[in-house]
Amino acid sequence: MPQRSLPRIDEKKRFMLALIAPAVTVLIAFQILPILIGANASFRDWHLHDPKRTWIGFTNYAYVLRDNEFLTIVLPNTFGFMLASVGTSLILGLAIALLLNRKFAGRWLVQTIILLPLMVAPVIAAIMIRWMFNDQFGIVNVVLGVFGVPQIAWLTQKWTAFLAMLLTDVWLWTPWFALLLLAGLQSLPSEPFEAAQIDAASAWRTFRYITLPMLRPVIVVCVVIRAIDAFRTFDIVWTISGGGPARATEVFSIYAYVEAFQFLNFGRGSAAAVIGALIIVVFAMALYRLLNRWVEVSR
Amino acid sequence: MSAVDALPAIASRNRFFDALAPGGRRALFVLGIIGVCLLFAFPVFWLVLTSLRPGYAVYYVHRGTDFTLDNFHEVLSQEIVLRALWNSLAISTLATVLSLGVTVTSGYMLSRFRGPIPNLWFSAIYVFRCVPYVSWVLPLYFVTRALGIFDTYWGLLLPHVAVHICFFSWIMKGFFDGIDPSMEYAAMIDGCSRWGAFLRVALPAAIPGLTALAILCWLYTWNEFLFALILTAQKTPILTVVMAQFVHELGMEWHLMSATAVLSLGPALIVTIFGQKYVIRGLKI
Amino acid sequence: MAEVTLSNVRKTYPGGVAAVKDFNLHIADHEFVVLVGPSGCGKSTTLRMVAGLEDISGGTIAIGNRIVNGLQPKDRDIAMVFQNYALYQHMSVYDNLAFGLRNRRAKEADIDVAVRGAAKILSIEPLLERRPRQLSGGQQQRVALGRCIVRNPKVFLFDEPLSNLDAQLRAQMRLELKELRQRVPTTSVFVTHDQVEAMTLGDRIVVMKDGLVQQVGSPLALFRHPINRFVASFIGSPAMNFLDMAVAAQADTFRLTAEGVAIELPQLRFPRLGAQVGRSVTLGLRPQHLRLGSAGNGAQVAFSGNLMVTEQLGDEQLLAVRIGSGDLRVSGVDPELALTTGTRIDLVVPIESLHIFEGSTGAAIR
Repeated sequence: MPQRSLPRIDEKKRFMLALIAPAVTVLIAFQILPILIGANASFRDWHLHDPKRTWIGFTNYAYVLRDNEFLTIVLPNTFGFMLASVGTSLILGLAIALLLNRKFAGRWLVQTIILLPLMVAPVIAAIMIRWMFNDQFGIVNVVLGVFGVPQIAWLTQKWTAFLAMLLTDVWLWTPWFALLLLAGLQSLPSEPFEAAQIDAASAWRTFRYITLPMLRPVIVVCVVIRAIDAFRTFDIVWTISGGGPARATEVFSIYAYVEAFQFLNFGRGSAAAVIGALIIVVFAMALYRLLNRWVEVSR
Repeated sequence: MSAVDALPAIASRNRFFDALAPGGRRALFVLGIIGVCLLFAFPVFWLVLTSLRPGYAVYYVHRGTDFTLDNFHEVLSQEIVLRALWNSLAISTLATVLSLGVTVTSGYMLSRFRGPIPNLWFSAIYVFRCVPYVSWVLPLYFVTRALGIFDTYWGLLLPHVAVHICFFSWIMKGFFDGIDPSMEYAAMIDGCSRWGAFLRVALPAAIPGLTALAILCWLYTWNEFLFALILTAQKTPILTVVMAQFVHELGMEWHLMSATAVLSLGPALIVTIFGQKYVIRGLKI
Repeated sequence: MAEVTLSNVRKTYPGGVAAVKDFNLHIADHEFVVLVGPSGCGKSTTLRMVAGLEDISGGTIAIGNRIVNGLQPKDRDIAMVFQNYALYQHMSVYDNLAFGLRNRRAKEADIDVAVRGAAKILSIEPLLERRPRQLSGGQQQRVALGRCIVRNPKVFLFDEPLSNLDAQLRAQMRLELKELRQRVPTTSVFVTHDQVEAMTLGDRIVVMKDGLVQQVGSPLALFRHPINRFVASFIGSPAMNFLDMAVAAQADTFRLTAEGVAIELPQLRFPRLGAQVGRSVTLGLRPQHLRLGSAGNGAQVAFSGNLMVTEQLGDEQLLAVRIGSGDLRVSGVDPELALTTGTRIDLVVPIESLHIFEGSTGAAIR
């Protein structure tokens, strides 16, 4: 009977909406709304202490894009950090995944140790490194002293501070790469490797011509995800150097934060955030396409 | 093929790895493993060691033999640390429960239904997952202020839940896609409502995946820094923020610093050790 | 010389599982030997031990008078075709074929000659620049074969290479393999679970079960004279019928009885049945040897029962006739014959075509 079918359709719809209602509410209030506010703020002269919110169009954007600090320090820092960190973690993670791919006694223990960094907060990792690289009592300088090398003021010079940050990031994320690459390795079929054994392929040739091509899809995904994350690094830089000395180690996320909450120029901070968001999106798409083409060519 | 017949069947090797006798290869392998383990365990070990040395011994952590728990006593006697510890525990647990609760129904809906509403929601999730959260982190400050929840539990919980919505809904959908819907149909034929079928049939089947996700979510929230920094002030100290403050303020008191850090590592370590097998089982790694 | 000799070869996995127990076989130069048996019988394990992909727990394997026990697969001068081809997906067909030679530092000019020669034999020349992904199953299998012949090794090893192909393709590849053999008669060891492949391809067949060799012989020898019940049931399609019967002696005949069945066999023709009097034996009857009709002379044995099922194949009919408590399958029945289920059917089988197996061990008595 036509009468009966109508309420049933409504009931299904009501159920569907009820299922997503809480998620939708939270999403709107705490993600969509902030996005809109941020976008709005970026076009206004908005200071945290000042109730005035005049519309100034693209002035904030222009400021950021012309800011010497941003162009010559922050952006190169951020990209350089990203490249160095992702590259190092990838290679190291791949090596570890290859090592862990065989069965050996105590493998479980080794795996647990290597996965240790995954549960450590970036802030804590930064603290650990900061302590180890302390210029007076840090273990690194102590060991260097034993070998007669002069003490280095690690955290107060730009490049050495960067090295410490890089070390922290690599320490934190290599296990992530290793875990995912290991899963990838273990999902590879064994027959091509047996055929390669019969074909007298050396360990290196097997790796280069068989393992690596088959791993490429996994590598691409890992690299893109990690690159996007590395671009947004905040915790480590904040804890190790605070962006210093004199903003020399500032990366993009710190720049936006500093503009908004230290210079109290929320408009400019939001503009910086939006610019950064656009950079990430464009860069991620380009990277993904580039890497995928690399994967396709090899196919 | 006569040219090929002239080839020696056993090829010559000058490659490094293959030139090594099996013993040499094994030695290199073992060295590699040990080196890697040292690299990853050392910073943690060093931190724990420092936290157990008394204040004056900070100058020579690697030498000396006196150990003490005084650092922990001192750190725990500070009210801010105790409050931060409690807050972090509470927030991590509550955020996990809330995130899972809100997203499990969302993921279920995406998995079980087709049509304009699910499609719209799926697209929304996909789009907003790709929006980098730098662009909405700063304004959260204003939203929470406007709603009067700044520097309170809700002010931190709801944004955390928001971050998880897109990502978790997608993962939950995956979980439910892997569960046969016939059981729910059977339940509905047997008299269950849709909600009842979800609650009594689908949800229990998804528990392994939910447990895995819960553990990962808990760890993530426990370790989170940026939101805590922006959305809390004096009333709701959070452990990660407190630690970062200590670094910039305490200067030389590394014995206290490391004790605080070890305190923060403790729960994470416990959760990881006990949760590891659930994570592996639930995500079928 | 490319003989292969396996002596007392066994394989035991850690944990005690014995996959192969005491395998002995001598394969002559240019011989095509098929290892056949049900899943888990140890045939693949044996093949992989010859290849060097599995360690040998005991015994020796020699290829061309050289014991290869400790040698790596690449040093054994063998080539192998895998069940799922194991082609290098990210290389062109040309590079797939050239890989083994390049690893052995052959000159590119020599490699080119070898690759194109192999491609010509297998008719895959137009495919040389393609990737395996772009090829059909049959083409990929040919490339896998090409990888074998390009290096001209002493032994070819095949690990169920046709199992992944559909029935029609499988029949075609069987033919191509036989043709290939005429041009490239290398010593080969072929593993399969399909007895049709075994019968059609092998010079000699090795039937295995539970890690042990059951029988070695030519296809015809295995068909006509299986040495135990297992081999008899495995070789031949449709499978042999079995009836468990009790033996009694009477004057100059043996009387075999089962529920609803009784036959008499002259003692002169079955002398070894004497030892089985009072025990039970298994009578083996091939469907191909059963005929419709009643026993005319003493050279035949008769059965009768009810027709249960007919299956029409176009060129023949298959029948299932209930005798006593079991069914006898009959093949080769005239397809035009209209038979009604439930009617009584009389069957005869020549006495020479009977197989008798011991009740307990399954060993052939006749």
